[in-house]
Amino acid sequence: MRLKFCYLAVPLVMLAVTGVAQANSDVEKKIADPANWAMQAGDMYNQRYSKLNQINAKNVGKMQVAWTFSTGVLRGHEGSPLVIGDMMYLHSAFPNKVFAMDLNTQTIKWKYEPKQDPAVIPQMCCDTVNRGLAYAEGKVFLQQADSMLVALDAKSGKVVWSVKNGDPSLGAVNTNAPHVFKDKVITGISGGEWGVRGYISAYNINTGDMVWRGYSVGPDDEMLIDPNTTTTWKDGKVQPVGADSSLSTWQEDQWKIGGGTTWGWYSYDKALNLMYYGTGNPSTWNPAQRPGDNKWSMSIWARDVDTGKVKWVYQMTPYDEWDFDGINEMILADIPVKGKMTKALVHFDRNGFGYTLDRTSGALLVAQKFDPAVNWATHVDMKTGRPQVVSKYSTAQNGPDKNSKGICPAALGSKDQQPASFNPSTGLFYVPTNHVCMDYEPFAVEYVAGQPYVGATLAMYPAPGGKNMGNFITWDAGTGKIVQSHGEKFSVWSGALTTAGGIACYGTLEGYLKCVDAKDINKELYKFKTPSGIIGNVFTYQHKGKQFIGVFSGIGGWAGIGLAAGLEKDADGLGAVGGYKELSNYTDLGGSLTVFALPPK
Amino acid sequence: MRVLCHMVFLVLSGFFFAAYADEPLYTVVDGNKVDAETLKGFKAWRAAACDRCHGANQQGLVGPSLIERLKILTRDEFVKTVTEGRLEKGMPSFKTSKMVMSNIDQLYAYLKGRSDGAITKSKVEAMQ
Repeated sequence: MRLKFCYLAVPLVMLAVTGVAQANSDVEKKIADPANWAMQAGDMYNQRYSKLNQINAKNVGKMQVAWTFSTGVLRGHEGSPLVIGDMMYLHSAFPNKVFAMDLNTQTIKWKYEPKQDPAVIPQMCCDTVNRGLAYAEGKVFLQQADSMLVALDAKSGKVVWSVKNGDPSLGAVNTNAPHVFKDKVITGISGGEWGVRGYISAYNINTGDMVWRGYSVGPDDEMLIDPNTTTTWKDGKVQPVGADSSLSTWQEDQWKIGGGTTWGWYSYDKALNLMYYGTGNPSTWNPAQRPGDNKWSMSIWARDVDTGKVKWVYQMTPYDEWDFDGINEMILADIPVKGKMTKALVHFDRNGFGYTLDRTSGALLVAQKFDPAVNWATHVDMKTGRPQVVSKYSTAQNGPDKNSKGICPAALGSKDQQPASFNPSTGLFYVPTNHVCMDYEPFAVEYVAGQPYVGATLAMYPAPGGKNMGNFITWDAGTGKIVQSHGEKFSVWSGALTTAGGIACYGTLEGYLKCVDAKDINKELYKFKTPSGIIGNVFTYQHKGKQFIGVFSGIGGWAGIGLAAGLEKDADGLGAVGGYKELSNYTDLGGSLTVFALPPK
Repeated sequence: MRVLCHMVFLVLSGFFFAAYADEPLYTVVDGNKVDAETLKGFKAWRAAACDRCHGANQQGLVGPSLIERLKILTRDEFVKTVTEGRLEKGMPSFKTSKMVMSNIDQLYAYLKGRSDGAITKSKVEAMQ
């Protein structure tokens, strides 16, 4: 008996070990096959680039709608479906439905609809969006609004495990997509406008057990920062952060309700075993209540994916005065930077600067404006890494109850969460951007658990000198220069896709899916009006030898919130989101997927 | 409706006031200078971040226009909606917000003034 047990135990242990190893290779294998769209960005580098080339610059003009699908949910639809083999997995805005669709028969194989407390709805800042699913090893991962992270069996839709990731009664809710790196599913938290202290968490994909959690602000050990080995960019070089790097930048206990939430898109470099993401605004929006740099809100982070330990961190906007949430995606690309091949991290921040860092060390290499309208800072000092703030636009210097006018960009940033794409064949980044400015008036606000904790009144409007509120641009991250800029009437709030077919595609708030020539983005090769405004991300896959391009439409999100109830006339001229008012002439609510293909030969 | 019927609007040399029984609901001069109580209502509006859903000018965003709704809702309905919320529609409960609950009459007065058109600017200040 004893011997037999030993013989049995060996292969069991081996199985367990290979099981862990496969977790990584399963997703890797699936993203290596361009027929799949196995992660929200198509890969772990956040490149949003596909090797498929059946649809290309020559024939995309002939593209037609192949099929459509309604999620049955109004309000904003961000993110995109996933495609694994013959299956497509779709999500919706709250109540966060999940559909598993068999692409062979176009039938719904299973559907999951969680029961969530409706009290969550009013706690979701900027619409009840959800940015999509993750997949690994036969499981589909859903990060629900009420903070429940759920693993569903990909074949049956049955719940394998679920875990509570936050306390929604305090405003800690979720909108982000979960991301699988190795044997862990990584998820963040929202609620910067409720005084939520941000964190990022890793759960075991098989059990749902939490492996680690790293906070954005507070004591070193809770952030998983080692004062001696965690580094940052200081005085023109990479140096250890030192003890209490966050605590020393907050007054008293303000950090406990200090924000730094983590609702963006994460990326992972296998060779370095590091994951990258950004942290959001410090709470409240009234800077007078939180003097100090408020580290490490508004920062780019590199963490060891197994332990959560912070390798390096860099703060883009110390002492935020504008709600320039730093959560936008980190795109990993190996590109020449100032003539030298570099393992780079490229990030387009809400604050209007495009950053290029050495992703191995966190060294700051490039920081330049990616919208010429940006005026709140003259430039980023490359030695200190700090933006040089213009007094006129400093809501802290102007003080509470003073309206600081004409600040560019607006709080929704020169770019919000809508992810950019990197095209390795042109070496350029394709970036959906906003071209919007604001007036910002901070005021004193008291923290009440579970109540909004904002402390500023904003009015947003198109940037001066132009009628366009958005641009689709190409960007050279090695030099920090705009290569081309293609104006759009409204903000481009849709994730871009580039492909080996030489095209770049994105959606517009009016509802157009557009594909342009990757070599000359001013050449519009295709456009089609989908049922509603697009804030979803364009994706592509191949099924039975045929390439498809798809996108969610369904207006909403921060840019589209005005539509949800129908805007009244602006009583005082400049209304909040006043500039977007005209959108209602083009579109209305409704979540649906539109899938395109070339006509049959 | 009853509240509306009882309400009297007076125009006295640029002076607006709305009366409820004998007590004026709010007093406003030059469109944006209000009495101390109504000013508290504006401060409660701002602190509770109502503008995020109802718009900086109460014109409506993801939440309905309060310029319009305050023409329809009775005072009791208004208090009930703010206190308990309408969760399914995205309206939170402000039961735990001391700022809102202790200034609910003032908040009503401020929003009513906006809805009536007597308070012409969303941002108000104290009258001398």
